[in-house]
Amino acid sequence: MVNLTIDDKQVTAPKTATIYEAAKINGINIPILCHDKKLKPFGACRMCLVEVEQMKGRQIPACTTPATEGMIIRTSTPDIIKARKMVLELLLLNHPLDCPVCDKSGDCDLQNLTYEYKVNSNRFTDEKFNHEIDYNNPLIERDMNRCVLCGKCARICDEIVSFGALTFIDRGIDTKIGCEFDDPLNCEFCGSCISVCPVGALLARPFKHKARFWAMTKHTSVCGYCGTGCNVTLGVKDNKVLTTIYDEEQGFHKGQLCVRGRFGYQFINSAQRLSKPLVRKNGVLSESTWDEALEIVAGRLKGGSNVAALATPRLTNEELSLFKTMLLENVGTKNFDHAAGYAHAALTEGFARSFGATASSASILDIQKSDFLLVIKTDAYETHPVVGFEINMAVKNKGVKLSILSDKRGKLSKLPDAKTLVHRPGSEIALLNSIAKTILDEKMVDASAAAVAGYAELEKALSGFSAEAIAEQSGLNAADIKKLASEYASSEKALIIFPTGQAYTGHNAVLASALANLAIITGKYGKEGCGVLCLSEKNNSQGAVDMGFYPQDGGLNSVQILDACINGTVKTLFVAGENPLVSYPDRNKVKAALDAVEFLVVSELFLTETAAMADVVLPVCSYAEKEGTFTSTDRRVQFIKPAIRKSVQIKTDFEIFSDLITRLGGQPPLRPALQFEEIAANTPGYLGMNHVSLQKNGAFAPVITIPAFVAPQALTPVVSETGKLALVTGSALYHSGTLSQYGEGPMHVCPEGYIELSRSDASAYKIAENDLCTVSSATGSMQLKAKISLRMPAGVVFAPYHFSATPINSIWSGAPVTLVTLVK
Amino acid sequence: MNPITPIINGMAITLKHMFMKPVTLQYPDERPKVAERFRGLHGLKVSHSKAKCVACYLCPTVCPAKCITVEAGEDANHDKYATVYEIDMLRCIFCGYCVEACPVDALKMTGEFELANYSRQDFIYSKERLLEKQ
Repeated sequence: MVNLTIDDKQVTAPKTATIYEAAKINGINIPILCHDKKLKPFGACRMCLVEVEQMKGRQIPACTTPATEGMIIRTSTPDIIKARKMVLELLLLNHPLDCPVCDKSGDCDLQNLTYEYKVNSNRFTDEKFNHEIDYNNPLIERDMNRCVLCGKCARICDEIVSFGALTFIDRGIDTKIGCEFDDPLNCEFCGSCISVCPVGALLARPFKHKARFWAMTKHTSVCGYCGTGCNVTLGVKDNKVLTTIYDEEQGFHKGQLCVRGRFGYQFINSAQRLSKPLVRKNGVLSESTWDEALEIVAGRLKGGSNVAALATPRLTNEELSLFKTMLLENVGTKNFDHAAGYAHAALTEGFARSFGATASSASILDIQKSDFLLVIKTDAYETHPVVGFEINMAVKNKGVKLSILSDKRGKLSKLPDAKTLVHRPGSEIALLNSIAKTILDEKMVDASAAAVAGYAELEKALSGFSAEAIAEQSGLNAADIKKLASEYASSEKALIIFPTGQAYTGHNAVLASALANLAIITGKYGKEGCGVLCLSEKNNSQGAVDMGFYPQDGGLNSVQILDACINGTVKTLFVAGENPLVSYPDRNKVKAALDAVEFLVVSELFLTETAAMADVVLPVCSYAEKEGTFTSTDRRVQFIKPAIRKSVQIKTDFEIFSDLITRLGGQPPLRPALQFEEIAANTPGYLGMNHVSLQKNGAFAPVITIPAFVAPQALTPVVSETGKLALVTGSALYHSGTLSQYGEGPMHVCPEGYIELSRSDASAYKIAENDLCTVSSATGSMQLKAKISLRMPAGVVFAPYHFSATPINSIWSGAPVTLVTLVK
Repeated sequence: MNPITPIINGMAITLKHMFMKPVTLQYPDERPKVAERFRGLHGLKVSHSKAKCVACYLCPTVCPAKCITVEAGEDANHDKYATVYEIDMLRCIFCGYCVEACPVDALKMTGEFELANYSRQDFIYSKERLLEKQ
């Protein structure tokens, strides 16, 4: 800590702080345009000029000057105010005075400072800029006439997003922010540049002219897409969510969001939302009353073990736990599951046996504190972009080493010094075992490992996984595997990250155990910057596992439930928010099951393909209309409250389950808060939490690990066939599950399914970009648009799974790798 | 006093006034001369054959009676304009803050003061009704 005097006030600040930061910590506000908490100091705007007595009263920028011991600083002498006024005059010289039509008005740093410093005339005259405005993309509008050249957009795009779409171009008075060769913007559209722009040079087009900043009320919430658990601020006017608002103080990610978090909110107020309960009468779904619909459902739920349920991990903890209570106690069935039954297996089976806990042993905050990151599949960026930003920052700012084991290259591969080992699809588990084997062979085992249960069995079971043998079947060379093993084992702190999800069937319990073995054998768990982080797919996937919403004590899992529907043992199926017809593997089987089941209830926001097959459809609330808690992938429990009032005709899932419990003769809790009290008392790690204490920042539920080795089984490698390509499924960057299809932003940039293939395959099959190809597998055939990219290795094709119009599950039956043929 | 006397006195005054010049304005036969700064019905100014209003929302923001509804849209040239501009005359208190707040001088208050109508809906003046006639 250093002691210094700012404006006659004795203050202390950390040694690393700049004058600006030191002042801010101590509640002294220095005006600035070019600074953001997350970015490196830049010193572009010259608004933060201060006087330091030791520097003979010269005016120096506070944002780039480190605070040192004994400094005597003045932040607002008449000379400084004069200088700041001049800076503003010079900025306003070229800035168009179009505040009435600029959407930034009200939230504009330049406008606020102009007002604060009373700059109401200008001593200088000059022409305004006449740059062309970029209206070419649907999400980000760039009006460089308003730009003040603070460089925040270019810096955030480089330092955090690591895309590098924007930079300063041209020289002198012509300098502006632009893309390479002054082309239109074509990036990943995360909108980070918009969030930091101090003026209206970069604006969100979906929000264009929707409302003024001051007319909106701001509601903090938790993003409802992936499991990262980002906090968002929703801008609400007239009971409609109009935009997301940036707040650099918010969450671990400091307000940083991805494309779907920032631009995918429109589903909340979509005109396609269901507004009334639907009941099938004479074969047609027709509008009904809640009383009638719930009475029918309650009647059908009296079937005991004939009843089964599938829930989406987008429900709150309170809803999932109440649903489970209803099924167990009031209905009397153990048949319930979520996330297609396998997307949670890495936690509920893998980590359960390797770490003795159904949660990750590391948190997202460990990423930047580690020395070495091992990422399984570059898709970790696509599934959890904000975790990807953390990886970017760790690698670029903290010098963390990054190695990736993946079946394709990706954005993470482009990071400085990132090593990507591109292996044959489906060989990741064997590879991880061979890394463990190498660590054993090279005597890099941690001293603590020998005492862990199952060590001897592991040693024996790994004998078949020598680097040489595995190298051959995985398409890598043994030296690379050995190098990766020694790098991982020799790093002081190392963290493993792997995504899971309904499209990642290969990321199962066996993979989780193989990764856990690696961490345990080298002692890299349970410490800061170490461990294995499982990125669970949906916003409350971890919560669904914590609530125990998966089959236990002999209950049927998702796959068995669908089988039981077909063979008639399950007669009533309650689907809460899932869309199995699109997101579960093997469409034909899912369709047969939903057709065969006697009675299908679906609670949904939209009339999805699954809901359209139901006997009763119950309209429910989105995350912006209800109260409850979500648990992020690293077990941060966060509270959400309604941002908008729900319409009178819809209910929350909580209200539906409560009502059904009453109709079934039970006693439901009155409020979600009371349900959470029960959760806190019965869920490991949640003890002591309550809705009131979680309101501000949420809280981590601690994970207690009891390590154990799980001996790997012999694996049969995926056999390739000539003339066939290996199809791997996954998530597209712009989407999460099937919900993001109802968000306008994601659909603007990625409106339909595609098949991504390498250049060499494209030329071999004579396929050009956007050609419609027929993709056929053993289970079916479908048409997809071709997307040719540099990242795919020859012989491997990739397809995202989110789209109802092109459901990839018509050719994919759940195997990690599917062999397909491709015809133009 | 004779009970008839007050009636005769009263009638005398009445008769006298029948032949005097009237003191009040004989509305509606006579029209008042409205002062230039009189605050009557609003008018949206027109320039280059379209409304000058850029839908900046300052008038609904400043309006103490909350009687102005504006909705903005984007025209073919990407310019901002008011797709909806409505004033609820039943709520308006004719304070003129909206005119004062307007940054583009798009709004004025006319001398029009005869605002009576038969239905409540007719008191809501839409953009078309407010546009000044050329």
